[in-house]
Order: sequence, then structure tokens, then C-alpha cells
Amino acid sequence: MNDQEQERYEAELRRTPPARLPEHFMARLLAAKPLAVPARAAPPQPAAGRFAWWSLWRWLAPAMALAAAGLLVGRAHFNPASSAEKKPLAAAYGLKADGVQVDEELVSSFDVVARLPGGEPVRFRCRKWRDQWVVTDKARGVEIEQSSPRVEVVPVRFETY
Amino acid sequence: MNGGCKHELPADPDWEQWLARHAPALLLFARQQARCEADAQDLVQEAVVESWRRSQGAPPPLGLVYATIRYRAIDLARRDERRALREVAARQDGPQCWFDSGVVERERNLLIQKAMSHLPKIYRDVVTLKVWGGLTFGQIAQALEIPANTAASRYRYGLMELRKLTKEVFA
Repeated sequence: MNDQEQERYEAELRRTPPARLPEHFMARLLAAKPLAVPARAAPPQPAAGRFAWWSLWRWLAPAMALAAAGLLVGRAHFNPASSAEKKPLAAAYGLKADGVQVDEELVSSFDVVARLPGGEPVRFRCRKWRDQWVVTDKARGVEIEQSSPRVEVVPVRFETY
Repeated sequence: MNGGCKHELPADPDWEQWLARHAPALLLFARQQARCEADAQDLVQEAVVESWRRSQGAPPPLGLVYATIRYRAIDLARRDERRALREVAARQDGPQCWFDSGVVERERNLLIQKAMSHLPKIYRDVVTLKVWGGLTFGQIAQALEIPANTAASRYRYGLMELRKLTKEVFA
């Protein structure tokens, strides 16, 4: 079948239209018209000018917050004035230490016996220390003292005890 | 068949015109998908209403309506409960005339219908949608979920088959 024959045949077929709808069915269809479902209300859009500002703010606000945070961090790291804070306290206040004492003081010592999972006894020697250092600047009449506790636990073989 | 449909319902020009224009072809397609007239009419009504609802009350794309008829027909065929009822109804149905039969052309139209019913379904669907549904191959592809090229080749083969079957009509 060539194209011309096909077109002629199609035209012949189209001369035979589909049957009309039964009257009762047409009435049924007409009555069945669906109610239009209202489209979902779109969120109110700001006017063009406001929209431009709103869109700008959406990006500008976080950017400004980031920039402020960056400035603070950068200032803390690179500001020469703040670098003094990182120096030792004495140096920061222009102290010239003419005497430094470092000391450790044994506060208590006791032994603890424990058992390993295999049942072997192990002894631990526990010592509490207090570390202390004192910096003095006699010229200024300043003495800085600081102390901090320290715990030392040393395992000791039972046989060697 | 009967003449024009008279009805006294609230007028809605869009809906009425759309139905008057497309419903006969939709019913023709549905009759080919369903086993009885009642099911065919149900298919058309459900598909049309659903498609209009989906398109927010605007005329829906025709391909979508035909596709919906097809899906619904498949669903219907799967429902075992309804199958028995449908077969009973099919036995009670008289033979439905697929085409508009004037007194003069009744014989001819019945022969075309007979030829169409002997056409393999894959060809019959495409020929129906193209010739009487007025769909493009793209729309047919959408409705039947096949590639457009397949739709075109099926149409050509279908027409050749149909022509053989209707030789005596168009001699």
C-alpha cells in the first residue's frame, strides 16, 4: 500500500464516524462534570521592588554574619594588640621575673591491689602531688603563685613488692 | 443508533462541546477495551471525570484520557469479583454498534466493525486512536506507553490488515 492508497483508505474509514453516545449515557456524562479543584493557593509574592530586596536580604544577611565572624576570628589571630594576650602573664604585664621557684609536694601516697583477668595480682602505687611555681618581680613587688594537683599511678609487680 | 442527545442540565459550553466532540471516539475505544457496554460506559465516565479533575477543570490532553481508559480497563479486567458480573452483563448485552449507522450504511459499518474486531489488539488500538480519535503518533505513544515509532509501524501494519479484511466493503 503506497502513501496515496493509504490516505485514500484512511479517508474512507473516517467517513464512518464512531457511533453517537446513547442518550442516557450522554446525560450521565453531562451530569458528571467534575467540580474544578481550586489550585493550591500560592504563597503571596511580594511586589517586584520588595521581592528584589527580599531576595537580596536572603543572601546578604548570612553573608554579613559570616563576614562578622570571620573578622572576629581574624582579629583574634592577627591583631598585634591581642598577641600580647598569648604571651605569658608575666611578660604580658611587663614583669621581669627575677626569681622563679618550681616545686612539687607529695600530698599522699597509697597502694592498691587489683587482679588481672587471669587472676594475677597487680599492685598500683598511687601518689598525689601538688605542683607549684612562684614567679617574683622584686622591682615591682609582685609575686605570682600557682599550684595544681597531679595524680600519679604506677603499676608494681606483686613479686617485687 | 439514536439521534442527537437532548438534556436539560445546567449548560457548560466547554464541557458539553468537549464531550460532543470526543466522547464518541472515547466510547469506541472503551468498547474495544471492555467486554460489555456497561463497563465501556463506566470506563469513559471515570476516565473523563478523572482527567478533567486532574487538569483543574480545563479540557485535558486527549492522550491522557485514552491512557486513563486503558489503565482502568486493565484494572477492571483484574478484578475477579467483577468479572463474573461483567460476563453475565455481556451475555445480556445486545451487540453494540461501534460506528454511526444510518439506514443506508448500516451493512457497511457492521462489516467494518467485524473487520476491526478481527484485527489484532495491538493494531486495533493504534488504528482506532489515529483514525477516529484523531491523535498524533506522539499522543498515541503516550496513551499506549509505546515508542512513537512503534505506534507508526503498528498503524501501517494495522491499516494493511484492515484493508485486507474490508476488501468487500471498499471494493
